[in-house]
Amino acid sequence: MNAAWLPLTAIAASLLAAVIIFSLPEESRRLRTSINLLAAVIKITLVTLMIQRVVAGDEAIFSFQIVGNIDFVLRADALGVMFAGLSSLLWLCTTVYAIGYLEGTANRKRFFGFFSLCVASTLGIALAGNLFTFLIFYEMLTLSTYPLVVHSGTDKALNAGRIYLRYTLTAGVVLLFGVVLLYSVTGEHSFASERGLGDYLGDHRTLLTFIFALLVGGFAVKAAMVPLHGWLPRAMVAPAPVSALLHAVAVVKAGAFGILRVIYDLYGIELSVELGVTTALAVAACITIIYGSVRAIAQHELKPRLAFSTISQVSYIVLGVSLFGPFGTIGALAHLLHQGLMKVTLFFCAGIYAEELGIHRIDEMDGAGKRMPLTSLAFTVGALGMIGLPPFAGFITKWYLGIGAIQAEMYWVIAVLVASSALNAAYFLPIVYRLWFRVGPAHGHGSWPNEQRLGRLETHGWLLWPAVFTAVISLAAGLLAGLPFSPLDWATRVAVGEYLQ
Amino acid sequence: MITLLLVSALCWPLCVMLLGVWQAYRTPAVQRRYFSWWWLSAAWPALLLAYAGESQWIIDAWMLGGQWSLNALSRPWLAFTALLWSFAAFHARGYFAKEQAKAQTGDHAAERRLLRLALLWPLTFVGNVLLIIAQDIASFYLGFAVMTFAAYALVIHNGTPEAKLGAKAYLILAVIGENLILGGLLWAAGSAETLLLEGVREEIATAEYGALMAGLLWLGLGIKAGVIGLHVWLPLAHPAAPAPASAVLSGAMIKAGLLGWIYVLPLGEPAMSEALVRLGEIILIAGLAAAFGAALYGVWQRHPKAILAYSSISQMGMLTAMIAMGLAAPDVWPLLLPGVVLFAAHHALAKGALFMGTSISEHLPRWPLAVVWILLALPALSLTGAFGAGLISKWTVKSALYEMHHEQLITLLTWAAIGTSALVSVSLWRQWQQRSAGGSHPGQWGAWLATLVAALMTPVWLPLPEASVAIPPLKEWVSLMWPLPAGVLMIGFGLLLTRRLRIGTPPAGDLWWLYAPLGYTVVNALRLSGAWLKNAKSTSVDITLLIEKQVMRRLTQLTGMEGWMRHHTSGLMMALAITLALLLIWEGA
Repeated sequence: MNAAWLPLTAIAASLLAAVIIFSLPEESRRLRTSINLLAAVIKITLVTLMIQRVVAGDEAIFSFQIVGNIDFVLRADALGVMFAGLSSLLWLCTTVYAIGYLEGTANRKRFFGFFSLCVASTLGIALAGNLFTFLIFYEMLTLSTYPLVVHSGTDKALNAGRIYLRYTLTAGVVLLFGVVLLYSVTGEHSFASERGLGDYLGDHRTLLTFIFALLVGGFAVKAAMVPLHGWLPRAMVAPAPVSALLHAVAVVKAGAFGILRVIYDLYGIELSVELGVTTALAVAACITIIYGSVRAIAQHELKPRLAFSTISQVSYIVLGVSLFGPFGTIGALAHLLHQGLMKVTLFFCAGIYAEELGIHRIDEMDGAGKRMPLTSLAFTVGALGMIGLPPFAGFITKWYLGIGAIQAEMYWVIAVLVASSALNAAYFLPIVYRLWFRVGPAHGHGSWPNEQRLGRLETHGWLLWPAVFTAVISLAAGLLAGLPFSPLDWATRVAVGEYLQ
Repeated sequence: MITLLLVSALCWPLCVMLLGVWQAYRTPAVQRRYFSWWWLSAAWPALLLAYAGESQWIIDAWMLGGQWSLNALSRPWLAFTALLWSFAAFHARGYFAKEQAKAQTGDHAAERRLLRLALLWPLTFVGNVLLIIAQDIASFYLGFAVMTFAAYALVIHNGTPEAKLGAKAYLILAVIGENLILGGLLWAAGSAETLLLEGVREEIATAEYGALMAGLLWLGLGIKAGVIGLHVWLPLAHPAAPAPASAVLSGAMIKAGLLGWIYVLPLGEPAMSEALVRLGEIILIAGLAAAFGAALYGVWQRHPKAILAYSSISQMGMLTAMIAMGLAAPDVWPLLLPGVVLFAAHHALAKGALFMGTSISEHLPRWPLAVVWILLALPALSLTGAFGAGLISKWTVKSALYEMHHEQLITLLTWAAIGTSALVSVSLWRQWQQRSAGGSHPGQWGAWLATLVAALMTPVWLPLPEASVAIPPLKEWVSLMWPLPAGVLMIGFGLLLTRRLRIGTPPAGDLWWLYAPLGYTVVNALRLSGAWLKNAKSTSVDITLLIEKQVMRRLTQLTGMEGWMRHHTSGLMMALAITLALLLIWEGA
């Protein structure tokens, strides 16, 4: 039985939530909260059902024709379901967090409406079955995140939003050009084709390379690869839950996911290697990894430092993709999930520090571990995971990427990985040191920049529990990576499917 | 049953940690006791485990797939590690008694320090246990990392500028070491597609670049083991750390690097490639250089614990030389291995006793002075190989080397023992100079005496394979013992000769003072390049904006032109009509 309704309802759940939220009055806080949570839970349930079907070897497909050969296709394949699972899980956490974070502020209706739209488009991106459908949701994502980035309405935010649009819309045009060109040359744009584009290699070698550059260049803007990363550090003015979602799931990951789709499902990995584009991509990813880390060291504020760390970490995914071989692929796919879990934790914590204690700068964090032990523990888990220390999730991906690099005989990648973990240590360990080993306001030296008592615990429970939850998951993803349905296990499943085709 | 022991060996210290957190929330600071009985018991299940026999566990769900085992190598290792940790915990209870009393009277700084130490001590221990029983790469690396990073709290405990410097040196070198190890493990494991340390060892033995992989791992693990050039954290961290922490650092944790070498290097492989043999020779030279260099530099130190740190470097240098023999002369390794284990175990306990002894001489118990100093000197005598277990461990190593005719190395090791004798006698002499009465806590001297006894009787309790240890024949005793009087005499003469000269104390940490400015230069260069990149980026953005502005200006000019055209529409249309008419006329004509 083909369950076409599954992917459609999963997207419709968030779309419908958005519509209802927009039509509700601003004051009906309780109803809005329950709709948000209900939609998130429904979505997780639906994605779980899709995962079950994929395990059973049966993909849910929904499609209808738009014009000519162009179809609108939603397909729940293993890769798509993986990204959908991540986004729906983290959406639930972020919704809970955002409800706590925005309590008592203005324009919450607008925020949650666009928030739901944003998630609907992310899910669409995950489940898109061809390039055309992908593009629709990709542009929808661009537009629905803009109101979130400028949410505070300050000059700085508006400016950041303008830059964000300038980058992403230009990229969208480039992408569109690439898609049209590809379609006119090959008539091919489905992610489900078994052969890839190998048949066109003889006649259109240069053109295929050019189209690849257009497509990946377009996606690289959202994936924040150097030198197309300029929007990301500025978009930091957005509220913490938005930054968390932007960095962990929605925008940045959408770009990386696009690159995954182009290489694995559109071109096919053999063709990409044959064209020689993967090596170029690996070099670009390595430059980004190092550049992001070096810039992160120079940041004195917490959120910009995390932003540059994202630039560096997302390119791990691209790096893994460009290493030809199963291990690189597993590493890339697993990091898609791991980075999401760890980064969302870090941003949750950064938001908590800012809300509860008014901390924005790193040198204000002295001794915060005593005042907020759970938050600081979660932050430590995220930071150590980012460095790639065992037993956290980051270690698993670094290990697979390293093995993948060796098997692809790209030994210099090992040096990049090692240098990157050293740099990661250089900008994360001082923060951890400040949290736990320095004396600060909690020990009676000075005072916090702007302390508020938000809750009975160290902070508001709605803020605290999502951070703790994601921290526990990113610990478990590393410690129990051998269990079935762990990120590593699922990534292996996808990669095996890719290489046995 | 043994599995239950394993679980409790790993989980009990973590539970102790959680209990500590619980206590920190429940008990007011005035009544809080950081070193209660359950805290002391953190290492006991692991100690029992070491004597529970051999076993192996395979856990698929654990990280990349876990494989742990207790075998002829890991059992004795676990035994001496857990034993030293248990004694050091007792010593800590006495050592920190005063600080705890201070914390109970409301000193928040002391309270914070003690809490941190009490929480991270068991965690460090868990890491140490895990790396000993691990046979798979991920668990080993996990254990190593946990131990390394958690031990930071042990080093920085006092919070003085010296402690901070020591902790900084420790952490920087630890991070470098972790990365070197990761690089080496990844390289070997990636080429061999293995997840086990066994696989790494085989890959290094056979692969084309095996020697390079081995070199990376040797250096990375060598940071912990104090390989010369990378040893600088030892003399900086040890004098600043509390005595029980120094005892486990220098006794147990330093051996983790050694165990790592034994696990990953293809020691004793029959068909050793030429490059690996060459590496073995390099390691041999480095080991001997450390054994002699540390002795020569260490005797000038003033702080007894700095001297003992140099003695550790020197002793580890000897062990490094023995490891090197496994590569350079593989046939000797099977004979040498029991000796290496015994040597390591004895050094762990003896060094532990010596470090605990420094806290005894600072708070002399109310016993006859002579008794105290004889007791203080016993582990030192044993370490030089002139007495007790030291005599036997040295003989075990020596007889293996004799059998394979490496007399040269024996001579060198004997000379290095003179250095050891010199170092320990200087250390005792400095302790004598800096002694102070004050009465030590029963826990303090109790643990010290227990460690002392355990050190002298190492071969008795260490679960080594049968018949691997023998008492030296009487005629060999002289050859084993003479380095002690030689070392003491040398120091005596040296003192007499240099008494008139005013020689300052060279700084502890020797090469660190060379590395530090270099490191700062590099970091500054990185910062500058970061700033430069930022400038370059903003310049490029400016240029792009400028270009955009220019284009926009051109476009605006176009609009202006349009305006002008709109203004003169009628005239233009007329002109156009006339032009067309003229064209038509010209065509017609």
